Amino acid sequence: MHIPGLTLIAESINDSVPSTHALFETEDMGGIIELARLQAEKGADYIDVNVGYRSPGFMATVVQKIQEYITLPLSIDTPDPEIAAAGLAVYDPGRAGNRKPILNSISEARLEMFDLYAQYPFIPILLATEGKDSLGGIKMNLSAEETYATAQSIMQTARERIPSVRNDELIIDAGIMPIGSDSSGNFRRLMETLRLMHEESDFTGVNRSVGLSNFTVMLPAQKGDGSPVKGPLESAFLTMAMPLGLNMIVGSVKRKYMILPQDHPAMQCLQDALKLEGLDVIMRVMSYIA
Amino acid sequence: MQEIIDKIAVCIELGKISKTTPFPPHMKDQDGADEIAAAALQQGVSPDALLAGCMQGMERVGKQFSENLIFVPNLLMSAAAMNAVMKHLKPFLESGAIKRKGTFLIGTVAGDLHDLGKNLVSMTIKGGGFEVIDLGVDVSTEKFLNAVAEHPGCSVGISALLTTTMVNMEKTVKTIKEHHPDVKVLVGGAPVTENFCRQIGADFYSPNPQGAVDYLNRLVA
Repeated sequence: MHIPGLTLIAESINDSVPSTHALFETEDMGGIIELARLQAEKGADYIDVNVGYRSPGFMATVVQKIQEYITLPLSIDTPDPEIAAAGLAVYDPGRAGNRKPILNSISEARLEMFDLYAQYPFIPILLATEGKDSLGGIKMNLSAEETYATAQSIMQTARERIPSVRNDELIIDAGIMPIGSDSSGNFRRLMETLRLMHEESDFTGVNRSVGLSNFTVMLPAQKGDGSPVKGPLESAFLTMAMPLGLNMIVGSVKRKYMILPQDHPAMQCLQDALKLEGLDVIMRVMSYIA
Repeated sequence: MQEIIDKIAVCIELGKISKTTPFPPHMKDQDGADEIAAAALQQGVSPDALLAGCMQGMERVGKQFSENLIFVPNLLMSAAAMNAVMKHLKPFLESGAIKRKGTFLIGTVAGDLHDLGKNLVSMTIKGGGFEVIDLGVDVSTEKFLNAVAEHPGCSVGISALLTTTMVNMEKTVKTIKEHHPDVKVLVGGAPVTENFCRQIGADFYSPNPQGAVDYLNRLVA
């Protein structure tokens, strides 16, 4: 299940997962702990914790409860500084082999989250998908060059805000979008951004991560012949992205990630998709899943 | 004429855009929505009938999508086929020769740059026979308010993908309702729920695009 050199941040404790949402709604801490334990057993390196639109106190309780039973480090997943602070404040590195938690994530739109570091040290996921526009507003990065520029600038900010931070205590997320709706070249943007970072020595040792399940979201689980769709496409992505320095994912412990041979149909689909434009990408994906 | 409407509906349902598009494979080299619409108008088929064909096709697509029988790529192909027909209908829509059922404003809430959900809803509602005015992403409350004022009688759809921007959704809905209590506001997006919709005073929530079309159809019925 594990690909050597790939760190897995296990994604299931997330409010957007319907079964987990139900656990949160009923405050079923036993169920949440069980889910954490299951992911730990199945090879997670970190357990992600995303409580959605809930109180900071709830985040704190979930973090504490999980740490009572699990000794893996956690990934505190929220864009809200208050919820993040609550989770980080109760996180006990001592319970996790003195390992810092991941903070998922900081973007140019919420740099104030670095303020939390002095009190509660963490390993930040730095989001490179959105950058500042010329008026100081936030814009989606549409090209590899823009994404790369944001990766550079937010990494620079991280080094200023976290003095003497080591490269391996930074994670860059260049953003992965659903391949099934990729009519605007997002997959190509991501691969090109990974390549640009890979070729720049300033990024050497800096972790690079994506939320891999997003890649196949909104696709059917199975092809017409009953064979799986999502696992092979995600594995094909890893096969192409790991040589370009990707070494971390937020993903599922249930998925059998693997390195695929070049002639695997999923590899051919993604290699074709890189060369196609617009709706031709969609049609290529549809011919793969037919 | 019925035959032409059926053909248009099938092209849209299956995502057959034009003769040159290879999808779906079994319709390769056949005429697509583009050619059939052009020929139909030449033969004197009414623009209204073509729009009816679009609506039939998109309704089937919307239903299959909400039942998980088809997926986002299919919806995108169907929307592209619909747009191929709409291109031919544009002059009739602009002159007012074809009447649409109503106007629907849509945008992603302030602070949120995600547009896929909004676009899927937008194309499905357009295919339902409504005029859709897309305000884009990161739409401020003020921009929504101005647009509502410019389009009397419209309904409004607001999308959010982030739990943090749901807060902005609440603000926008409440402000629209304060100024325009009669305007119906629809909300959607991954973190949005029926409960949240009620809590912030919006009128309707649907987990899929077709639900929104059905609701708007009930409003104009």
